Amino acid sequence: MTRRQYVTGMIAMALAGVIFILPFVFIFLTAMKTKKDASLLTFTWPKEWHLAQNFLDVLKTQNYQLLLAYFNSSVITVGAVAMLIVFGALVGYVLQRRQSRWNNLIFGAVLVGLIVPPAVVPTIWVMQGLHLFKTIHGMIFIQVAYGLAFSVLLYRSFIATIPRDLDEAAIIDGARPLQVFFKVILPLLKPVTVTLIVVQSIAIFNDFTNPLYYLPGKDNVTVQLTLFNFQSQFVSQFNLLFMNILLVTIPPLIVFIFFNRQIVAGMTAGAVKG
Amino acid sequence: MKERPSPYPYWFVLPAAVIFVTLFLVPTVASFWFSLTRWDLFTTTFIGLDNYRQFFKEPQLTRSLFNTVVYAVITSGTKSVLGLLLAVALTSGLWGQGFLRTVVFFPVLVSTIGVGITFATLMHPTKGLINVSLAAIGLDGPGWLTNATLAIYSVAMIDLWKGIGLATVIYIAGLSAISPDYYEAARIDGATRMQQFWRVTVPLVRPATVTVVTLSLIGGLRSFDLIWATTRGGPGFSSDVLASVIYKQYQAGFYGLSTAGNVILFLMIAVIILPLTWWFNRREVDL
Amino acid sequence: MTAVILKSLKKSFGAVNVIKGVDLEVASGEFCVFVGPSGCGKSTLLRIIAGLESATDGEIWIDGREVSGVEPSRRGIAMVFQSYALYPHLTVRENIGFGLSLAKLPKAEIKSKVDAAGAALQLGPLMDRKPRALSGGQRQRVAIGRAIVRDPKVFLFDEPLSNLDAALRAQMRIELTDLHRRLGATMIYVTHDQVEAMTMADKIVVLNAGGIEQVGTPMDLYNHPVSPFVAGFIGSPKMNLYDGAVAQAMGCATYGIRPEHVTLSASEGKWQGKVRHVEHLGADTVVYLDVPRLGDLVARAAGELKVAHGDTLWASPVESREFRFA
Repeated sequence: MTRRQYVTGMIAMALAGVIFILPFVFIFLTAMKTKKDASLLTFTWPKEWHLAQNFLDVLKTQNYQLLLAYFNSSVITVGAVAMLIVFGALVGYVLQRRQSRWNNLIFGAVLVGLIVPPAVVPTIWVMQGLHLFKTIHGMIFIQVAYGLAFSVLLYRSFIATIPRDLDEAAIIDGARPLQVFFKVILPLLKPVTVTLIVVQSIAIFNDFTNPLYYLPGKDNVTVQLTLFNFQSQFVSQFNLLFMNILLVTIPPLIVFIFFNRQIVAGMTAGAVKG
Repeated sequence: MKERPSPYPYWFVLPAAVIFVTLFLVPTVASFWFSLTRWDLFTTTFIGLDNYRQFFKEPQLTRSLFNTVVYAVITSGTKSVLGLLLAVALTSGLWGQGFLRTVVFFPVLVSTIGVGITFATLMHPTKGLINVSLAAIGLDGPGWLTNATLAIYSVAMIDLWKGIGLATVIYIAGLSAISPDYYEAARIDGATRMQQFWRVTVPLVRPATVTVVTLSLIGGLRSFDLIWATTRGGPGFSSDVLASVIYKQYQAGFYGLSTAGNVILFLMIAVIILPLTWWFNRREVDL
Repeated sequence: MTAVILKSLKKSFGAVNVIKGVDLEVASGEFCVFVGPSGCGKSTLLRIIAGLESATDGEIWIDGREVSGVEPSRRGIAMVFQSYALYPHLTVRENIGFGLSLAKLPKAEIKSKVDAAGAALQLGPLMDRKPRALSGGQRQRVAIGRAIVRDPKVFLFDEPLSNLDAALRAQMRIELTDLHRRLGATMIYVTHDQVEAMTMADKIVVLNAGGIEQVGTPMDLYNHPVSPFVAGFIGSPKMNLYDGAVAQAMGCATYGIRPEHVTLSASEGKWQGKVRHVEHLGADTVVYLDVPRLGDLVARAAGELKVAHGDTLWASPVESREFRFA
């Protein structure tokens, strides 16, 4: 490594530190402070460490609303991701394998799904008609509807790399279509599946807009909604507010630490294909 | 000879299709109809293009159209340029470049609301860290989110902080796809570093550029979370964008107007993205 | 006048010595081929001459100038890459003129130089096409055109025919040799294919594990290989080589005889063996014998030999063509 690379690297580190790391350190420090200390909004070491105290206070707010929020968010995420994997793979599979006139239509629908902004009020109107409005399972279906385009896109391009011979060998062995899909294809899709689980989970967990529209009400809170509402709740308690932010940041952080490679691969998957 | 049924039956598509059509396509199609009505909790009355006229007459609403485009163009433009420069820097063998890539990318994964609240705090006009630091070197920091002309641009900056990592990572993937042979041939031909950047890197990284520009334009036009978490469209209506207007009109019970906003957003995206994609595809590079 | 001189050239990547002290002279106008197995360092050597890699030790002289620290663009070289490195977003004309436009030469001058190179390579009707609309052979000619336009002292070729199919390769070998004759330029050519080396070179440099095994004309190397490695590398099918007890009995460390210098007989000969495998090529027949004292013995006979798997045959070496390596 040349000296220039070292020096530039150091300068870059320092800049990156200030720009990208400092805000997170601020969140952490403020989350540890007492109410008075935090309200000063300074970038200082906490006078007293109130980690456990702040943590419990946030948790207990509004009757342990945060716990309910985590539960709801988890249910929505798991339910939606499971459907996105299976349904998305099924479509990607047929789209890639079967040559038909419908392919262009399906592909067009995928593009529409990626670009077009959902029409929110008409969607509420539809959901009310189907008794899905303000329900958790309704929310799950919404996340599936909005996430299908991306899933289908990834699956389709990955299935293109699985040789057709494998399907045909299984068919010769007597497998029926569903068996071919679940026993031969789906296991081979593991890399994409892992990537999708990671990327979609983070996206759904971080989603604020859709629960705001489709899941109003105290019983249906999600993690992001809770955080938003606590702004007015903790108007003078910055320490608790930032503890909440910290708690909301931790799950994606954990996922990122373990699945960094898959996340980056997923995000760029659409990219190089354009 | 009986034709064997295909092992790739159409009904595989059914579960996805049902959910997608019901909860996405139907509302989208319906939105065109509803945008032409006065729609509230009780009735639906056809009023033609009145909702749209309102959008282009009322200053608050017109302002949101302007803000939306400005926000999208600024964020998208900066991400495409800065993202590429960062990607080039982070693939040049700097010391600690793996760590730098991680650090730049992490904000992409964090809750937008969390980012919004944090930066709203940092941007507090008197107590916020940014202005306190500026005061320490003798500068008078403005009201980033409280100044009506400045607010939307401040939010755009936060958006950049959060989103530049994704652009960078996409560009890094695109850069890795460029064979070193191209650079070596250019070196032999006597190309300087600048010439190599403009005449080899930029043309050959085009697929990534297309993706970054398209994704960030669409994302920018649809942006809601960050604005809602920082300014709620304020002060007044100075930082409203289409997405926040759609929500506000919904909250106020003006469903028809809100839906008209949706249709305008849809048309805006179509008008900008479709020609752009066509233009990009015409000059497609076969690598 | 010697075009290229390498003195005690060494290259290591960390602890690994890739080039272990190479001394070589290439005369002006010579077609010199670097040949050797994968990993022998031939491409590295070429890249060092080009200036894309720097040598750890030693001197490089091009056209009377020591160029060790000099940028590739100022060494008077031009390179044709294995992948051709044609810019997909530029036309043939723009690709060939790329270097000239970097140097900001006047447009008229660029046009005339590019047209001249295009004419020399019969690229006329293709000048405004993009690389993706060209065949493999055409792309290669464009890559050569880009090199010609630099008017270099030395042309460097890095396995340019590897990506082509067999028929095209044979045709391109002739075209390249013709080009060399027409231009009279010094060319250094890297390949792993000994047929290319034998058919195209004025001088062959056989490399092995970072060092030069032998330098000579193709027939020199064929008739007088200095080591078992060179003997086994040049010539196809490979020379029969034996060491151990067999060689000792012949009075050397390694004994070698080429398949084309082994005569076959149904009745008598030095070695008796069973036919393990026969290849009928039409013009020749290649017979693989399993000989008890030797092991495998490959023999080549002209014309069509009526031999089958399992037959017993006798083989004898042509005594004047035997090799005994110490």
